[in-house]
Amino acid sequence: MDVDMEERQIQARFVTKLNPPFKAPPSAITIPATVTRLGLSTIVNSLIKAGDPEWETQPFDFLIDGELVRMSLDRFLLAKGISAEKTLEIEYIKAVVPRKEEEPSLHDDWVSAVDGSCSRFILTGCYDGFGRVWKGAGVCTHILEGHTDAITSVSVINPLGDVTLATASKDRTLRLWKMDSEGVEDSPAKIRPFKILRGHNASVGSVAAQGSGSMICSGSWDCRVNLWQTDESSAEGDSVSVKKRKTKNGTEEPQLEGAPVSTLVGHTQQVSSLVWPERDTIYSASWDHTIRRWDAETGKDVSSIICGRPFNCLSVGGEGSTLVAAGGSTPILRIWDPRKPGTSAPVYQFSSHTSWISACQWHSKSWFHLLSASYDGKVMLWDLRTAWPVSVIESHEDKVLCADWWKEDCVISGGRDSKLRISSGVPVL
Amino acid sequence: MGVSIPPKEADRLKNIVDENGGSSDEFDSEGEASEGSEVSEVATEEDGGSSGDEDASTSDGSGLVDDEDENEGSEEGADANGSSSDDEKASASVDDGLESGEGSGDSDSERSEVAEESDSSEDEVAPRNTIGDVPLEWYKDEQHIGYDIKGKKITKKERQDKLDSFLASVDDSKNWRKIYDDYNDEDVELTKAEAKMISRLLNGKAPHADFDPYAPYVDWFKWDDAIHPLSNAPEPKRRFIPSKWEAKKVVKYVRAIRKGLIKFEKPKEEPRFYMLWGDDSGAADKTNHLSYIPAPKPKLPGHEESYNPSLEYIPTQEEINSYQLMYEEDRPKFIPKRFTSMRSIPAYEDAVKDSFERCLDLYLCPRVRKKRINIDPESLKPKLPSRKDLKPYPSTCYMEYIGHKGPVVSISTEFSGEWIASGSTDGTVRIWEVESGRCRKVWEFDEAVQYVAWNPMPEFPILAISVGQDAYLLNTGLGNEETQRKVGELLHVEAAKVSDDSS
Repeated sequence: MDVDMEERQIQARFVTKLNPPFKAPPSAITIPATVTRLGLSTIVNSLIKAGDPEWETQPFDFLIDGELVRMSLDRFLLAKGISAEKTLEIEYIKAVVPRKEEEPSLHDDWVSAVDGSCSRFILTGCYDGFGRVWKGAGVCTHILEGHTDAITSVSVINPLGDVTLATASKDRTLRLWKMDSEGVEDSPAKIRPFKILRGHNASVGSVAAQGSGSMICSGSWDCRVNLWQTDESSAEGDSVSVKKRKTKNGTEEPQLEGAPVSTLVGHTQQVSSLVWPERDTIYSASWDHTIRRWDAETGKDVSSIICGRPFNCLSVGGEGSTLVAAGGSTPILRIWDPRKPGTSAPVYQFSSHTSWISACQWHSKSWFHLLSASYDGKVMLWDLRTAWPVSVIESHEDKVLCADWWKEDCVISGGRDSKLRISSGVPVL
Repeated sequence: MGVSIPPKEADRLKNIVDENGGSSDEFDSEGEASEGSEVSEVATEEDGGSSGDEDASTSDGSGLVDDEDENEGSEEGADANGSSSDDEKASASVDDGLESGEGSGDSDSERSEVAEESDSSEDEVAPRNTIGDVPLEWYKDEQHIGYDIKGKKITKKERQDKLDSFLASVDDSKNWRKIYDDYNDEDVELTKAEAKMISRLLNGKAPHADFDPYAPYVDWFKWDDAIHPLSNAPEPKRRFIPSKWEAKKVVKYVRAIRKGLIKFEKPKEEPRFYMLWGDDSGAADKTNHLSYIPAPKPKLPGHEESYNPSLEYIPTQEEINSYQLMYEEDRPKFIPKRFTSMRSIPAYEDAVKDSFERCLDLYLCPRVRKKRINIDPESLKPKLPSRKDLKPYPSTCYMEYIGHKGPVVSISTEFSGEWIASGSTDGTVRIWEVESGRCRKVWEFDEAVQYVAWNPMPEFPILAISVGQDAYLLNTGLGNEETQRKVGELLHVEAAKVSDDSS
């Protein structure tokens, strides 16, 4: 053992859960203690390259005891109190850093909402009142007309089966659009509006769909959450009237009008974000400083998390799909675990942003990864295992109004600069 | 004699006496005549038939009888009758304030011509008591006054009405000597002798004329050749020591006081003058007595004042010299000295001075109780709230709504909190979205906008602004078509009419 700090060596062994191409030889090697993540990454890369000559250097991230290493190794060990005598087991994962920045997709006005739940397309809502469907960067396939005011939120209902799109707008209505599923890659699928949902007294701020797709809920500035049916058949008894509407080209399209099935009353200020993770549970975040959990059947407020700030965005995911992440008018992204008895204190807090957090979203497959978008123009990717953002995407110059994951390895975001940006190649899993 | 006469009656008696002094001769004969008539009158009243002589004698014999003080003579006579008729009545009679015993000797000279009176107490007349020991008011409404010996009611005499009584009084020369006796319901006339007696009483002398207050003491129990004293008992000790029974009495009283059986109550006096301007509590405190404030205790002698203190208490010569350099008032007053033997201790020089000053402190020094105000000075400071209490207060700027060219003078938020309307001096009114900072609509005016206000009814999104001298109602264009239609109806302006908002 050398006494000199510069020369301290640590025995380490690299393990990984990744698939074989990434596997490094499991034997222990001696590495200098002052090495940082980059150094470790280089070492692993060289190890793998030693076994596989065609290996391309990839950035890796390293976990020791479940925590990402973000500083030099010896300082990390000192901070964590891990003894350097034994052989360290370092797990390495792919660094969650976007590799490619696609071209921006330009809109006419601010991009207020994006939804990337369907891997075939991206649905965006814009302040000019049109919804747009994009196949890829810069490739807009459909424009959804109909709203008279800015669109605030969009949602893709039932992305796996019969795709329905929902758009919520400041003209106090929601519109449902049906996408014909016969669309093959080449021939464009037709999207037609089939229902207008009226029932809110103020601008609709958010919309979320149930997992099965039969119902959606919407929250608005009149502090209410309305639940609606999305079925097309008028025999349901929900549609008030069948209204004929003339489009620009003269063809009449029957438009169903829908009334809310039920209303969840309880918030005292604008409902800014909704999530419907399970069949019966709806989470709603509001500017009245609470996140409420509702029972969809009874319409009653089951529980609420009170935090001192108005909430802008909400997402449920993580381990077992139970962790609740919410961001609001503070630059701190908070994550709660509603299963714990004292739910007022957040389990995790990420405070690298410098302004309001406008959007947050869990990754659908990973336990640890989520992203957040903020008015400071940055989209940050987080790993629960470390307090610093795993990566920062600074693709917008102005406020980022919305962000989402797409195709499990892309990050899409839209902002005040009227652009939709896609960052691809994010190796989360 | 100790007889108390109510003042009103005393005046009357005085009048009688004064008048009596003027015309004594006339009075005498009249008195006798009336006396006789009185006696006979009385005799007829009484049912107990008694010999006239005896009546007279006994009536003369018994002296002053006090039932009601003015009715001495007839009372006497009546009581004499009563007692002679009922011999079993003891002279220790029922009525209070009787002094029947005394009269026997005194009226000797007065009524000597009538008969010799007996000295025995059996012949003393008990005052006539026909009504019993009850208050006279009980007979006020009755027809009778008292009962006779046989138990029959004695009916009241008929009273003369006022006119007749007045005439009678004027005509009757002796009316000034007549007094109405309530108890026996008759008029009693005082004799001359009785009147004189009353006058002597009023002057504070003994009632009988023949009483000599300065008579020499006649020692009845003295004889010259007495060799043995009446009593040769040695003087008992109890004559020289505090009396035992008095101590016991005092103890009894003290116990009663402690129990609260004996109460001392000062008669509550109404204050003659009320303090109009003063504080009542101050008056209660400023009592006349001096509240005792004890003098401060003198300092007890300590080690320095000892005759042989330890060496460390004694100042060295240098220190003593240094005292001279100090100011007078800074010098220590007492320099400890050491004496190895008691013989060498000198007299204390300041003994007289110290005791004099102590006396001054004790009784010549004016001491006043000063009321100290116990105010904690910290409590006078106003209590400012801590920073934590004031939360949430704004600390960081997160959102800026950029668009105005001039200073923004007025802001108003819409009911739901989605929009902010702002007016500025550059003549524009803008509507902003709160969450995004987007300017939704702009109106331009020529003059600076002073004030903007949203319609308190959120169903109609109308903005009221004041620009210069005008006020405008602006249709903000928010809401869906239905709302817009309604707003349009409300704000519809006809040719010459000014629109008014129905709310």
